[in-house]
Amino acid sequence: MAKEFNVLITGVGGQGAILMSELLGEAAVKDDFNVRGSEALGMAVRGGSVVSTIRIGSEIYGPLIPMGKCHLLIGIEPAEALRNISYLSPSSLIILNLRGIVPFTVSQGKSNYPTQDEILEKLNRASRQVIRLDAACLAEEAGNPITANMVMLGAAFGGGQMPVKLETIKAVIQSHFPAKLAPVNIKAFDLGYQACQQAVKN
Amino acid sequence: MKEPAISSDAPGEKLLMLGNEAIARGAMEAGVQVAAAYPGTPSSEILETLTKVAQKFDIYVEWSTNEKIAFEVALAASICGVRAMASMKHVGVNVAHDPLMTASYIGAKGGLVLLSADDPWAWSSQNEQDNRYIAEQGYIPVLEPSSVQEAKDMMADAFRLSEEFKHLFMVRSVTRISHGRGDVVLGEITRERRKGSFKKDRSWLVYTPVAARKNRLLMIERFERIRQAVDTLPYNRLKLVDRARLGIIACGLSYSYTLEAIKWLELEERVSVLKISTPHPLPQELVKKLLKSAAEIIIVEELEPFVENKVKAIAGEANIPVKIHGKNLLPVIGELSTRKVTEAIARLTNSKPPVNFTKLDKLSEETAPILPWRPPTLCPGCAHRAALYAINSAAQRVARDYGKPTEPIYPGDIGCYTLGYLPPLEAVDTTICMGASIGIANGLAHVVAAPIIAHIGDSTFFHSGIPPLINAVYNKANITVAILDNSATAMTGFQPHPGIGHTATGEETTSVKIEDIARACGVKFVKVADPLDLKKAADVLEKAIRFEGPSVVVLRSPCAIIEQREKRQRGEKTIPYYIDQDKCNEKCGACIKLLGCPAIVKENGKTIIDGPLCTGCGICVQVCPHNAILQES
Repeated sequence: MAKEFNVLITGVGGQGAILMSELLGEAAVKDDFNVRGSEALGMAVRGGSVVSTIRIGSEIYGPLIPMGKCHLLIGIEPAEALRNISYLSPSSLIILNLRGIVPFTVSQGKSNYPTQDEILEKLNRASRQVIRLDAACLAEEAGNPITANMVMLGAAFGGGQMPVKLETIKAVIQSHFPAKLAPVNIKAFDLGYQACQQAVKN
Repeated sequence: MKEPAISSDAPGEKLLMLGNEAIARGAMEAGVQVAAAYPGTPSSEILETLTKVAQKFDIYVEWSTNEKIAFEVALAASICGVRAMASMKHVGVNVAHDPLMTASYIGAKGGLVLLSADDPWAWSSQNEQDNRYIAEQGYIPVLEPSSVQEAKDMMADAFRLSEEFKHLFMVRSVTRISHGRGDVVLGEITRERRKGSFKKDRSWLVYTPVAARKNRLLMIERFERIRQAVDTLPYNRLKLVDRARLGIIACGLSYSYTLEAIKWLELEERVSVLKISTPHPLPQELVKKLLKSAAEIIIVEELEPFVENKVKAIAGEANIPVKIHGKNLLPVIGELSTRKVTEAIARLTNSKPPVNFTKLDKLSEETAPILPWRPPTLCPGCAHRAALYAINSAAQRVARDYGKPTEPIYPGDIGCYTLGYLPPLEAVDTTICMGASIGIANGLAHVVAAPIIAHIGDSTFFHSGIPPLINAVYNKANITVAILDNSATAMTGFQPHPGIGHTATGEETTSVKIEDIARACGVKFVKVADPLDLKKAADVLEKAIRFEGPSVVVLRSPCAIIEQREKRQRGEKTIPYYIDQDKCNEKCGACIKLLGCPAIVKENGKTIIDGPLCTGCGICVQVCPHNAILQES
């Protein structure tokens, strides 16, 4: 059994980070791991930065990931992944959605949004493995742009390090959604999974 | 509706739970029969969870109008022998403070548990208060979980202890417990249901000075018995290591960070650890044992040095020569973390943290300047945006007539609309506590010459806006109160309130009309307006502000999130707006500058509307000077 596998999910309120951590945590419990995690709820989620943590393994205690101890970062929004750079170590795996969400403060000229190159340059300095994908594009391919979070979850499994079994997470996704919506979410998950596996191979 | 997992009647089953679900489950396992609350982050999901199982398990569940009432509802049930709980955020306990301080004189007949969800770092709160001090003031014993599993177990045990000692108990959660997740092994659900019976007993329940003096004595005796018992409570655990120089006392959630730090620093065989789950009263014998065993002690706890000061007192009284650390090495501000605890323990043990924190801090610092500022913001289509814009337009018009430069003043309140303090609206000048918008406006009216427009949400108005409104009428405060009625307690998750027309469990009920209340309070100018019609709303507000004496404008438009959700359920389409680039003047940007709607963005120098985000509220159309914003056909 894994001793400690720390997953950090970063994004913007409304992108579905909480659902991802809920599904991942549930699957981990079904696979008989200990699970700890923490959510941002309340005021923080009205379009603000969101961080969700899920920790899986036999030797985890606190709900938060210690600095430098993140094994897998799922960045649903690129600038928000960058905001959490101090949790990374050179061996962290980063799954990065390249589709940014520019906050209203940028349109108002009160702050700037970094370029993709700036983001990648910094993340590449922190960690050896950054896998990039366009989750929105894959979600549309799956049949619904709202499934981008399932694309990212699939990609997180496609990275090959997740201690939770693939069939377990798929069963959890399947039973979470109403029968009508499950197939498109599973398809999004699969597309993300394949895209990430492909990227790992290259 | 899908049956929530927490209603599973399979003892021994392991489930992933949110801390607040675990707290609800613990109460179910203890046989809670009455649960009352007012929503507030991070406590809201406790009662929300109970509403979903209320019918099946025969639990009376209510969203009370405020925390004081929630607590009184629970107290009454307990007096009648029924197990009851009230749950609230830390500052909610301030509202319930009045009955609380006498409730401990009463004690409990049916198990009575107050759940206080504290919010270190004030993630979603106006302050960081540490409610262990409130518990101490009221002789209320506190159980403080270190994990989600313990949150469930302690909740169940709190009821048991409450009945055993006939006394009220507090379970103190924090954000990272309430909004933490963890695997939880279920216990058995208690199915016993009691019939409440009220026994008249004036010497116990009628708090005249005589009763107060008598019952205060009994309370102190009860508390003393609890003090004797906590040393053997299994949640308090002492692990003594032979010849350990350092002893660590870790309280509540901090215990989890402490275990992690010890493992990280590989100190398992070098430090003794006392896990404290009852910061009030402290397990004195365990504390003394630890104090005698070590040369140095560190107390690891979030926020105030509550346990630290008590431990220092115990050491002093018992004459134990030991150096005691705590807040000299750990911050009083914010949450603790494995890192903070690791650094403190590393200093006392001359060990080296396995991670180079300085390097990571540097990386963070280097990155910060290129990160965008992403504060939480009002949603696209939020009627509060329109309301605050209309208030500002109306107030500025009136202010111009003051002759000399005058700024209108906007005392604000607690809710989504607090976010209106940000640019570009900047229409919140004070935020203090629930209901304070109107209270502060009352005071301002007697000392400054300026238009004073308090604004307060619907749920907050019911919660604590009515007495200050009456005060304004009675004491002739010349203020305008704008009640931003989006028909929901939106910030905390859209819970119903007295204006909605249904209860926590979905039963139909009388919908209390805010305008009726305002009139009944004696306000002579009461009008209702739709904030999404900016001009009309501003005109009504202007009349209200010019009105001599207190005036009320109810700005009514449903929460955009709820409305969008309902539209989707009905299969209705939202028709978004777009910007006609031929008409739009690139240099203007009025829509962005005036409203700050997240759906209106600049892309390659052009102002565009992000279609999927737009709810079709149409307020941008009303501020565009070039008629460039059109609805898609």
